[in-house]
Formats: sequence, C-alpha cells, structure tokens
Amino acid sequence: MTRPRSSPGGTGMTGLVLRLAVFAVVAFFILLPLAQTLLLSVTATLEHDGVAEGTYSLVNYRNIFHSGPLTASIFNSALYVLLNVALCLVAALPAAYAFSRFSFAGDRHFYFLLLTFRITPPVVLSLPVFILFAQFELVNTPVGIALVHCLFNIPITIWILESFISALPREFDETAFLDGYSLPRFFLKHLIPAIAPGIGVAAFFCFVFSWVEVVFARILTLTAGKPITMAINALFGFQTDIGLVMAMTVFSLLPGVAMIWFVRNHIASGFVIRT
Amino acid sequence: MKPHDNRAWLLLAPAAAILAFVGIVPLMTVFNYSFLDLFSINDPFWVGTEWYGDIVSSPRFYASLGRSLLFSALVLLVQMPLGVGIALLLAKTGPWRIAVLMLLAVPLVVPWNMIPIIWLGLINPHTGLVGQALAALGIGFDYKFNPLHTWTLLVVMDTWHWLGLVVVLAYAGLSGIPHAYYQAAAIDGASRLQVLRYIQLPKMGGVLSMALLLRFMDSFMIYIEAFRINAGGPQGATTFLSLDLGEEINAYNYGPAAARSMVYFLTVLTVAWAFRTLMDAHRRQEQQQEVAA
Repeated sequence: MTRPRSSPGGTGMTGLVLRLAVFAVVAFFILLPLAQTLLLSVTATLEHDGVAEGTYSLVNYRNIFHSGPLTASIFNSALYVLLNVALCLVAALPAAYAFSRFSFAGDRHFYFLLLTFRITPPVVLSLPVFILFAQFELVNTPVGIALVHCLFNIPITIWILESFISALPREFDETAFLDGYSLPRFFLKHLIPAIAPGIGVAAFFCFVFSWVEVVFARILTLTAGKPITMAINALFGFQTDIGLVMAMTVFSLLPGVAMIWFVRNHIASGFVIRT
Repeated sequence: MKPHDNRAWLLLAPAAAILAFVGIVPLMTVFNYSFLDLFSINDPFWVGTEWYGDIVSSPRFYASLGRSLLFSALVLLVQMPLGVGIALLLAKTGPWRIAVLMLLAVPLVVPWNMIPIIWLGLINPHTGLVGQALAALGIGFDYKFNPLHTWTLLVVMDTWHWLGLVVVLAYAGLSGIPHAYYQAAAIDGASRLQVLRYIQLPKMGGVLSMALLLRFMDSFMIYIEAFRINAGGPQGATTFLSLDLGEEINAYNYGPAAARSMVYFLTVLTVAWAFRTLMDAHRRQEQQQEVAA
C-alpha cells in the first residue's frame, strides 16, 4: 500500500503532535492526584520523634511498621484477596468450560444471573449478607470476605475464561480424550497451560475488584480481621496524621500496580460479557 | 452448534453453589424482610407493603432518583466520548500505547474509599497542589457549601477513577477489528469520519455497550466516594439513591432498608434485562450482515 494511513485528527505531523498533546494532558490528569499522594506520604504532617511538621522524611513509612493494626491489615487484605482469586478460578474454570463447549437447559438464564449479580451494588446486599454470615461465623474472618467477593468476581472470571477456551478448537479437547485423559487430568495437563494468559487476566480482574471493594469488607470486619482500607479509615480522628494515611494509600496501590505490570500485554483482551 | 448435554450442570455446580450462598439466599432474605417490621431480628411483625408504600410516596425518593440519574448522565456524557476518543488515538500509536494503557489503569486499582481522600488532599487550599493553584489564581473552590462545586468535584473524581476502564474496553473492541475492513474502506475512498461511523463504532458496539452498562450501574449506585466527599451535602444536593439506603442501614431500620434494597435490585434487574435485549438485537444484526456479505 502506498496510500498513507489516515490518522484521527489529520495525517502525518499534525496527527502526531495532536496525539502527543492529548496523551500529555491525560498523563497529567492521571498523575496529578498520585503525585499529591506521594508528596504527602513523604511529608511529616504531625511531629514525630524530632521530625518537625512539614519537613520531608520517610517517617510515615517507618510508622506503618511500628503500628500493629496497620501491618496486620496488609496481611489481612492479601489473605482474603488471594483466597478470593483462588476460589473464583477453581469454581469458574469448569463453569467456563461448560458454557464454552455445551448447551444445556437454563444456560441463558444462568448467564442472566451472572450479569445481574455482577452489576448488583454491594450496598443492596450488605445487610442480609452480614446477618447470614454471622450465623455461619464468617464475620471477622478473611474467608467471609473472600466468599462474598465471589458475587461479582465469579461472573467476570467465567466470561474471561470462556472467551479464551472458546478460542481453542474443539479438536483440542477431543484429541486429549482419545488419548485417554479424564476430564480433571485434561484440565490440569492441557487446558490450563493452553489458556494461561486468560487465567492471568481473570486473576488480575478478580484481584483488583476484590482489593478495591470496601462495602462488604467493612460490614464483615466489625471487630477483627480489618483490611488495609478499614485500617486507613480508622486513622481518621481528632488529629489525623494525613501523611501516614497517604503512606498507607501508597502501600495499598503497590500490589495493583504490580498486577498491571504483569498483565500489561493482555490487559485489553478477553474481557467480553456474555449474555 | 454446541452439543446439548445437561450434565454440564455438574461442571457449573461449584460456581452455582457459591453464588446461591452469597447472592440468592441474601436476596431472598431481603425480600422477606421487606414485608416485616424488625425492631429486633427475633421479633418480626408483618406490615405487608407498608415500606414500599412509604418509598414510592416520598418526594425524597424521587429527588434522590433524579440526582442519581443526572449524575449517571453526566458521567456517561463525559467518560464515553473521552474514553472512545483516547482509544482511537491509542490504536494508531506505537508500542508505547501499552504505557498509556497501564497509566490509565492505575486509578482502577486504588481502593474506593481512598479515592475521595486523595482528591480531598489534592484540593486542600493549604497543602493540595490544585487547591493552592486555585487559591493563587483567586478562584474560590468551596466543595463543602457550593453544590455546583461538589458536583464538579464528584464528576471529575469519577472520571479520574473510571476513564481507564472505558479506554481499555474501547481499545479491546478496536483491536478486534480485522485489518481487511480498513483496506476495503481505503479502496472505497472512505473518509476518516465514515470509517468511524460505519466500521469502528458498529464493530465496537458489543464492548461499548458493556462499558456503558458497567459505567451506568456503578455511577448510578455511587456510594462510598460520594459519601466521603460531602456526605450527600450541601443540603442534600448530592444525596444519591445509595446514600439514602446507607443511612437506613446505619440506623438499623431493617424493614425499610430491605424494601429499599428490593426497589434498587428491581432497577438492576430491569437494566440487566434491557442490556441483554440490546445485545441480542446487536448479535442478530451482525449475523444478518454476515449472511448478506
């Protein structure tokens, strides 16, 4: 092709300049609040052991590790998020396979249920979930939060995994079964390696949505097992050490940013809602 | 065609069991509570549809509904065109488009209750970067008492939070368009706008309606962010549907809170149903086009 490809907003140099300008504005807009957070996190906003208020120092980060509730909360968050990712993947993989390979009575209705649960706001279910979970002694434990986050994460995992499984030809399964593989062995030996990027993307979305959720996480951790988000809430009081709050916020961002880095080449693939 | 086999339900069983426990049982509980006066959980008193009557006859409910709809409309009007526009520019960009995508995804991994804290820090007139700049320019930004400023802050903050999702989805839709379509358009001498109107937007239809759905629901039921900024104020100007519900739950009004939850859930159900009808129509249209082609 000798014809130059047209680009939005003009061709050649004009297009390039326009694009760079737009991206610069977008980057500025996204980075500004993050820069503010970082800046406050390295500022001593209250006086601590000889570090005067308003000076730059790493005292806030040091204080995180001197605070029992804060370090415990990092552990709690990590625990229920990982548990949730594991639960979602284990429950959703066979379901996604079923949707990809078979039609069955009620499949469309189940899809509708998934869609509905994905978009149901947690605040609508928070009260009965709390009462129900209290009866099963699932309050104040990471297991409870990991379970309830499946409400919106299982649908996403099923959608993502199904689109990756459907990209495999049916012969892929049939060859394995002819070779004498049982269904569980086929899953472990063939299917999971073949859709590894899909599992990565699904794990990423589960991780993120579980990590950022606060309504269920708050109502299910009244007295113990508080996640990072609630530990930060607890820092607010008569004299809030906003520098410490921001240092914790920076901490709460790190795992998510690491996850973005791992899935950067697949972030825009496989996320398709099935109805 | 996929083979029909009802044994597939066995593969669905684990997912179905978890969803029944965390979704269906709580929903049935809410439905049950919504007809009861529960001064305490062990002492229920049947009140029929009284709570529902209270909700649909209260002007406050319609005012909150109107505000929630307005907020969703503003959010969609800002974020959808902006997100699609950025995705269109990204599709023509070299390898560092990944860097832009990654940057846009960062706000998505910020815990929701941290977002208002970050933004309040940003606009603080004494310590915030934007707050100090506004003060230096002589612009008084008073999100506490000026409703217009509270609304502006909420829309800008929500755009910061969610723009990445729209861009990622729109970009996924764009990268799924086969190159042959563009070649055909180039041979026909289609203009840039025609390519957008007749190829890109229709081909992105599926993912865009998904972005629309997710953005609509999440903004319509915005809770923690709006609550943290101004607790529904000034004078109720940012009291959205979910803030009313949160208030009732916090006051332990189980019955009315359950009825309200049911009303909101019915809204969710309607939206989900409308979305599915839309997607089915979209799919039929695509199939017809493929048959015609």
